[in-house]
Amino acid sequence: MATTELGLVTAGVDVGTEYVKAVVVAEDRRILGRASVPTRGYFQDRAYEALRAALEDARAGEADLAVIGATGFAPDRVPHAATRLAESVCHAAGAWHHVRGRMTLVVLGGHEPQVIAVGSDGTPRNIQRVRRCAVGVGSFLMFAARHLDVHPTRLQDLASAATAAASVSSYCSVFSGTGILERLRDGASLEDVALGSMRSIAERVVEIGDLDPPVVAAGGVAEYFPGVLRAIESLAGVSVVAAPDPIYTAAHGAALLVRPS
Amino acid sequence: MTQLASAAALKSVMANYFSALGQAARDRSAPVAWCTSVGPAELLRALGFQVFFPENHAAMLGASRRANHVMPRAHALGYSQDICSYLTSDIGAFRAGETPLATYGLTEVPKADVLVFNTNQCRDVRDWFEWYGRRWGVPVVGVRSPRYVDEVREADVDGVTVQLEALVAPLEQVAGRRLDPTALSEAVRLSRRLSDLWGACLDTATHRPAPLTFFDGTVHMGPAVVLRGAPEACDYYEVLLEELESRAGARHAAIPGEAFRVFWDGMPIWGRLRALGSLFEEFHTAVVASTYCNSWVFAALDPAEPFRSMARASLELFIVRSEEPKERYLERMARFYQVDGLIFHDCRTCPNNSNTRYGMPQRLGDRLGLPTLVLDGDVNDLRCFSDEQARTNVEGFVELLADRGATARGSR
Repeated sequence: MATTELGLVTAGVDVGTEYVKAVVVAEDRRILGRASVPTRGYFQDRAYEALRAALEDARAGEADLAVIGATGFAPDRVPHAATRLAESVCHAAGAWHHVRGRMTLVVLGGHEPQVIAVGSDGTPRNIQRVRRCAVGVGSFLMFAARHLDVHPTRLQDLASAATAAASVSSYCSVFSGTGILERLRDGASLEDVALGSMRSIAERVVEIGDLDPPVVAAGGVAEYFPGVLRAIESLAGVSVVAAPDPIYTAAHGAALLVRPS
Repeated sequence: MTQLASAAALKSVMANYFSALGQAARDRSAPVAWCTSVGPAELLRALGFQVFFPENHAAMLGASRRANHVMPRAHALGYSQDICSYLTSDIGAFRAGETPLATYGLTEVPKADVLVFNTNQCRDVRDWFEWYGRRWGVPVVGVRSPRYVDEVREADVDGVTVQLEALVAPLEQVAGRRLDPTALSEAVRLSRRLSDLWGACLDTATHRPAPLTFFDGTVHMGPAVVLRGAPEACDYYEVLLEELESRAGARHAAIPGEAFRVFWDGMPIWGRLRALGSLFEEFHTAVVASTYCNSWVFAALDPAEPFRSMARASLELFIVRSEEPKERYLERMARFYQVDGLIFHDCRTCPNNSNTRYGMPQRLGDRLGLPTLVLDGDVNDLRCFSDEQARTNVEGFVELLADRGATARGSR
């Protein structure tokens, strides 16, 4: 039974490797609330915590929830989720809600970058991913921030002050991490290493596949590290626009997709 | 390292070569053929083609450290990071509209009228050429060679000879002229002369101290790669040979204080040539010779039987051979150049020119009683190479050579 005037709402929970995100949408597809919590400890605890916070943000209660859609790295760990959804499908649906047309969607989360060709109806037509050893792009940037001694949200500011990107490039996330340490040992500035780290991510994205315009970016990296998007633009020669609130794109898509028709 | 005085002549020869290529592509004064580095260049020269070698172009992308910037453009087409980084660098650069030939006044690679491969070195060259063939709508022809050849059998030579002869008709059609057998014999004669001169240059490294290193060789081999069958290359190597012999006579060391001599097997790491050259110099270690530079010594070429000798030369090549003849060759080289150890480059994207993956370094090291070192890296993809790891490994290797030297002196 609904406890508010909202009517029945739906929720999407995206369990990522760095953050768990939850979005609550109304029957008319409006976003009513959202929340994210760092992924630490048990996935189910964080999923529940994010969902509760999103409901609170929406001024709704659990009784208002018609259904929960779960996606991300650990969708099976979302309590009471009725539907497990593919991450790429959720990202596509979430981005399409804003773009309303075909696009190339670059997904840059904590784990696995993807390039999704989204059709004019909002469904994926083709999905390309990096290979196994290059996963963990968002986590790699968190690692970079730690070694550059800044909060992750400051990494972008640091990169903005760089004079030239230090080379930390590798197709292996572990080797790239080692590259950061080597450049710091060699005396590269923190700023240049920060920019080099972002460029390294961009190189991995560009090699996934051609980016046919319009190009939209989603995921936590697009939210917190816009320098990566600028580096992609520079390498691929195309304009890249971040989806609104890109860290929530998949959770939003999940909430939209599980709405009762 | 002191630069060889012949470097000025080298620059001039290479500049003229690229200038002629650029002109042919621009004003269509001659047909342009792309050829794999050990493909049938003599046949193409005899038919009047200007010949372009994309592997040389890819090496320039590596040496200028532009490869990693452009390779993602090829990966995006589905060409894997695990395949030849020459291929991915070159195609990536084409897609990015980049070329190091700008140094020579060319704004783009010369467009091919035909692409001619020989798969004696690998399959990648054919896939590489076919990409351009599809893009430009031009023919791609070549030799499908036997590989992992034990002894070079007459039947294998017959097979490649037939394939080389079969190239004549389609190439004549593109060239718009008939093949003149005398011109082919002359091209093979010049190629053999070039090969002998280049081989003699490399042999000067048998002197102690060596007057040149592998790193010098990778620079000075340019004309031996791109000007087979052309007289100007012979002129250049006569100049170089004279300088090297003079250096050797004067005991002029390429590496001052040469303490150790080592052999390099496998591809160069183009983007780190200077850094590695300096690293070995720091440790007074001369990398005196390599399988790579010696790969452009074609002793089998014979103007009296051009097709058959071209076929034999392409099959006798080190890279085409199986483990056993490769090991015999390396043993001969180790003794000929009197080396103290062998370095094997495990080239990540070039399994065909990496001899590290089936136990060869261990077998050879045991048989020759010499230390071996495997260096992880890549010909162009610098993501596969770590300066730090290379330094640590080379440092340890040289310490080992020093310890062995001390032990040997102590036991005398």
